[in-house]
Amino acid sequence: MTAPDAVGETPREAPGREAPVRPPGYGLVRRGRASFLLHRRSAAVTAALAAALAAAVVASLCLGETATAPTEVVRVLLGLPSPEELVVGTLRLPRVVLGLMVGAALGVAGGLIQTVARNPLASPEIIGVTHGAAALTVGAMTFGLTSYALLPYLSVAGGMLAAALVYVFAWRRGLSAARFVLIGLGFSVALRSLTQLFMTKGDFLAAQQAQVWLTGSLNGRGWEQAGPLGWALLAVLPAVLWCARAQRQAALDDDTATALGVRLGRVRLGLAATGVVLASVATGAAGPVDFVALLSPQIARRLTRTAQIPLLATALLGAFVVTLGDLLARRLLAPVELPVGVLTAAIGAPYLVWLIARGRTGGRP
Amino acid sequence: MTDTTSPGGTTADGGPDRTGAPDAPASRLSARGLTLAYESRTVVDGLDLDVPDGRVTVVVGPNACGKSTLLRALGRLLRPRRGAVLLDGRELDRVPTRAVARSLGLLPQAPVAPEAITVGNLVARGRQPHQRWWQQWSEADERAVTDAMDSTGVTGLADRAVDELSGGQRQRVWIAMALAQETELLLLDEPTTYLDIAHQVEVLDLVRRLNRERGRTVVMVLHDLNQAARYADHLVAMREGRIVAQGPPGRAVTADLVREVFGLEAVVVPDPVTGGPLVVPGAPASASAAAPATVPVNIRKATP
Repeated sequence: MTAPDAVGETPREAPGREAPVRPPGYGLVRRGRASFLLHRRSAAVTAALAAALAAAVVASLCLGETATAPTEVVRVLLGLPSPEELVVGTLRLPRVVLGLMVGAALGVAGGLIQTVARNPLASPEIIGVTHGAAALTVGAMTFGLTSYALLPYLSVAGGMLAAALVYVFAWRRGLSAARFVLIGLGFSVALRSLTQLFMTKGDFLAAQQAQVWLTGSLNGRGWEQAGPLGWALLAVLPAVLWCARAQRQAALDDDTATALGVRLGRVRLGLAATGVVLASVATGAAGPVDFVALLSPQIARRLTRTAQIPLLATALLGAFVVTLGDLLARRLLAPVELPVGVLTAAIGAPYLVWLIARGRTGGRP
Repeated sequence: MTDTTSPGGTTADGGPDRTGAPDAPASRLSARGLTLAYESRTVVDGLDLDVPDGRVTVVVGPNACGKSTLLRALGRLLRPRRGAVLLDGRELDRVPTRAVARSLGLLPQAPVAPEAITVGNLVARGRQPHQRWWQQWSEADERAVTDAMDSTGVTGLADRAVDELSGGQRQRVWIAMALAQETELLLLDEPTTYLDIAHQVEVLDLVRRLNRERGRTVVMVLHDLNQAARYADHLVAMREGRIVAQGPPGRAVTADLVREVFGLEAVVVPDPVTGGPLVVPGAPASASAAAPATVPVNIRKATP
């Protein structure tokens, strides 16, 4: 009687030893000395977001004053000859591509800034980027700058300058997250007043154009904005890849991170600088598009349930929100076009509220 | 050995000073002429210390005596105003922080976990200084984390969110993270804060086991003098930024020391459990006739 029992017990202990231990929720790939972890849920969410984005892009290319068949859209995208070449390829595509890039850049920028500020409510708007860009752009418009080609560059410069000042003022023997947010807020309020002042001072027509810029829109924009933005994003890409890993380290508190050998000052500066550049170039190309930077990282993180903001998912989500927002902005009250910023907030905010209210563990605000 | 004027310097003759180690153990971590300050306020002034290898060193002292500040400096969380912290004879500031993190682990007083992180993932973060972007989870990482979670008894909690845990469990998880770092030196800043007495003992027993079984060198800041006396091999008593006395608790903890360091009248009696020193606050009945003596009498009356 005893012998079979003893035999039966031995293999029961074996499985415990052979299963490789790894952080919960991660898949593991090992090749020789190299090893990579993959968060399974993030991978699934990212794939789903990519599919949703692809659908939104095709829909956005199909719908307009005239509807185009999806098959024709795909033909144009593949570079095959199509009668819809002009409408899809020349008129709609640049705008959609611009929207994609603006959304992705703003989403990632928001995620990085929220990580540095240790605050889920932080965004390029709060740390001075948006208002710095607005002040310089509107100032230039109302004081008679006639070369509109220069405006995006001024906007980029304004955003980066304001953010750099905020960073310098917030620095006192290291960067305090709270100071960063508070000083950013102070700068933002001051810069917004300055923008208002420019608009009242300037002539009526310029003020009106400034107002249009300030709402953030993809209307009437195309390759001339999308091209430079594309190059800028390509140039920032290596920094973003570095951020994806550095961001994980910055999620710990200062002391713990330092104890683990993280050069926190350097990491924070890198994250903040990358976030500011992304937000600035996106704002330069499309004006301030509201809420994408604020909402995308938080929605993405709640979907993946990771401790840090998932940058790739955030980029896809930002692109999706802007693409969908712009589609609705164009078609909802057609032929009247709404600014995309109105729609991005209208789509994103209720969804985030629902995610938080549903209150899973991963969704603690 | 360096000839320092520190009262507890490990001199070869081991003479009348209150040094803990008769065999003058080696010291990987030491402080030389360490002056620490916040803004313009000097907290620690010209301090020398040798942390004996393979021992548990406990730093005690009244509030604001600079003990936590000293620990932060030993763990390079605070840059010295003057003097230096030496790790294997090299100035801590000159060693790449990542390299320091492979020899020296530190658990701060109030670490904050990233939102909604699970226990397994937090402990895995301890492997940070050993990882590269192309080496995210080596077999060594796997071994270290499994081992750290086993020895702190948190293996069963791996999938739980850190913010759902009780204070005692959470502290064990943080210690597990520091252990996963696999450093020979481990600095703990008041690891028993916010814990009830049972959990305090649990954590301190764990720390001592790590020292005894794994030979880890531990430096701990503790609030409770009796716990310090019980768990220290080497006790360092600080007051106003200076080391007042150091040595094995059996020799270092005396009524004089308690008076000098804490300004408290106390009686030191043998601990009924360990036989080590036990500090009982209050002057003996003969010394002060009034208040303290009446209390035990009342209790005695009430008991039968």
